[in-house]
Amino acid sequence: MSPIFNIPFGPQHPALKESENFMFEVDGERVVDVTPRLGYVHRGIEKALEDRTYIQDMHLIERICGICSHAHTTCYSQAVEEGLEVEIPPRARYIRSIVAELERIHNHYLWLGLVAHEIGFETLFMYAWRDREVVMDLLELISGNRVNYAMNMIGGVRRDITPEISSRIRKGLKVLDERMKYYERICSSERTVLVRTRGVGVLKTSDAISLCAVGPTLRASNVKRDVRADDPYAAYDEIPFHIVTHDGCDVASRIVTRCEEVFESVRIIRYALEHLPTGPLEVLVPRTVPPAEIVSRVEAPRGENIHYLRSNGTDKPARYKVRAPTLANIPALCKMLIGGYIADIPITIAGIDPCFSCMDRLAFIDANTDRSWVWDGEQLRRYGFKWYKKR
Amino acid sequence: MVQEEMICLLQILLFPGFLSLILVAFFYEWVDRKFVAKLQNRYGPLHTGPGGLLQPFADFVKLLSKEDITPRAADKLLFSAVPIFLLSLPLTALFCIPMASYSALTSFEGDLILVMFITILIVVSVFIGAWSSTSRFSTVGGIRAGLQMLSYEIPMTIAMVGPAIVAKSLCISEIVQWQTTGLWFIFTQPLGFAVASICLLAEIQRVPFDIPRAETEVVAGWLTEFSGRKLALLRLTEDLELVLAGSMLTSLYLGGPSGFGLAPPFLWFFIKLTACILLLSNLRALFARFRIDQLASGAWKYLTPLALLQIILIELISW
Repeated sequence: MSPIFNIPFGPQHPALKESENFMFEVDGERVVDVTPRLGYVHRGIEKALEDRTYIQDMHLIERICGICSHAHTTCYSQAVEEGLEVEIPPRARYIRSIVAELERIHNHYLWLGLVAHEIGFETLFMYAWRDREVVMDLLELISGNRVNYAMNMIGGVRRDITPEISSRIRKGLKVLDERMKYYERICSSERTVLVRTRGVGVLKTSDAISLCAVGPTLRASNVKRDVRADDPYAAYDEIPFHIVTHDGCDVASRIVTRCEEVFESVRIIRYALEHLPTGPLEVLVPRTVPPAEIVSRVEAPRGENIHYLRSNGTDKPARYKVRAPTLANIPALCKMLIGGYIADIPITIAGIDPCFSCMDRLAFIDANTDRSWVWDGEQLRRYGFKWYKKR
Repeated sequence: MVQEEMICLLQILLFPGFLSLILVAFFYEWVDRKFVAKLQNRYGPLHTGPGGLLQPFADFVKLLSKEDITPRAADKLLFSAVPIFLLSLPLTALFCIPMASYSALTSFEGDLILVMFITILIVVSVFIGAWSSTSRFSTVGGIRAGLQMLSYEIPMTIAMVGPAIVAKSLCISEIVQWQTTGLWFIFTQPLGFAVASICLLAEIQRVPFDIPRAETEVVAGWLTEFSGRKLALLRLTEDLELVLAGSMLTSLYLGGPSGFGLAPPFLWFFIKLTACILLLSNLRALFARFRIDQLASGAWKYLTPLALLQIILIELISW
């Protein structure tokens, strides 16, 4: 009898906040192989987008992801604005960057808490989530909402940042900066955290590049790649910042990378508030987009977000495609998991900061060959017929 | 004669027997939850009773009334027997520990060995329970519980033999009595106390050693398939184990019910027990969870040599 034992991880599992299935083959405590099965939270958003106007779509795009809602809407409005060939006012570009960075801080605090929870460090989890309230309050102050900020509109932003709000943001940033310094010190010196994260979920630099990892996962494998610098959008071409990288290639360096990204975000927001240009918040745009094919990229807190828009001259998109960062990280994730321990599964999966409901679209990944492909509805239908005929 | 038997029966049933032990167990679950919550900047139980004092009891009653599911593939007899058996074990062990006075309800030469044997039996029953429930998560949890026992059992036994060597007795009551005249063992054997507390933390499966039931890894580990009444009994067992761990530390290292002033012995015992349980909870709030291989290598590389060093020191000093 083979000593291999299959352990299902999900779709319902306490370590996963969303439903997704990973089938692990384990030998004792060692993981021999892993097969991901995606698609449990597929909601048909892309198809729904085609039936709505560009203005209605904004609300749907916002709801692709609960945490990086601003990154998705920024990506969407950029695509539509490029199709319309409009330039948004500089003040709107700065406000987009400020909200994007606040969102990044929010996401990284949330993630730090989750990571602490996965390694059983409940105290750090409670502390990180308590301090997350500070940034959520700031976002509520700016936009009126705690998670789905609804700040973007096609042609600009919806709300202004007044001097009074800006001084309160500065106060909040001070707290966030100090607390994160404390957490970074804990995460890089506390022994029980280090033994659980150092050398765990290793993703070598060469693997990270060849498996197309994105975001902090990639940067923690010492690859200096960030859409904000490589293909600047919003106000990032005017704001100086440096890309945080680490050469640890493991979960510990992913933690440190994200902590330092928070410091970087704080600096970006401070600079943007200081240099906030005056002027209008939006430009008026027509309702119909001339025929075009546009790819728009945004550095979401989790990594590179790619949106593709094909317009046909009407007020509805002909095709819209979203590639969320989690999907790009799945092949790399499988690489990290194989050879590790069962106990390291949650921390490794959490290490890429997965957001499955962002990711679940008609996309398929073959874990054995690292091949991934995308099907449209018709192809899937045909595949379904074929599959059932075989049975 | 009849009166004497009545008193004996009341002692077993009420004080310091079953009823009071179970009440104490509920009380210390509350203390533990409240204290950890304070450390983590939360409130903890609030609404049931003053300050949530009755919450553990309410949880117990709620679980009793819930549906009791036995998996179809489970070994039905063992699966039902394990929770009852598990509950009886820490209760039995607690009978050997002097709480209300200097001698326990049952004490005989060698009951320290019995208590240690019971702590092993608890893990063995956990393993049997995990195995009989046939769930994958339970099986992994059970294997982990077994591995964990192999790691901490040896250093714990060595550490706990320390007080017995000095007191020249294997009876817990006599070790306690020795401490009423001499110095408490925590002062003469601090190393042994440290090793014993760490091992007891592993014994009661608390963070950082909650490996057999690490929620984020193996759901609830060996507990996964238990529900309803069985889970209620297992939860009570856990509370009793916490009390047992605290009582072991109190009796072996802190002089048990001995104290000074007019306060009755049982009050002293509970003050010390509370201190021990707060220590165990405090450690729980400070750390992340270890991995099973890290625990095993840590226990054999550091805890066992430290425990042996303590024994050598004792021998050197007494020689």
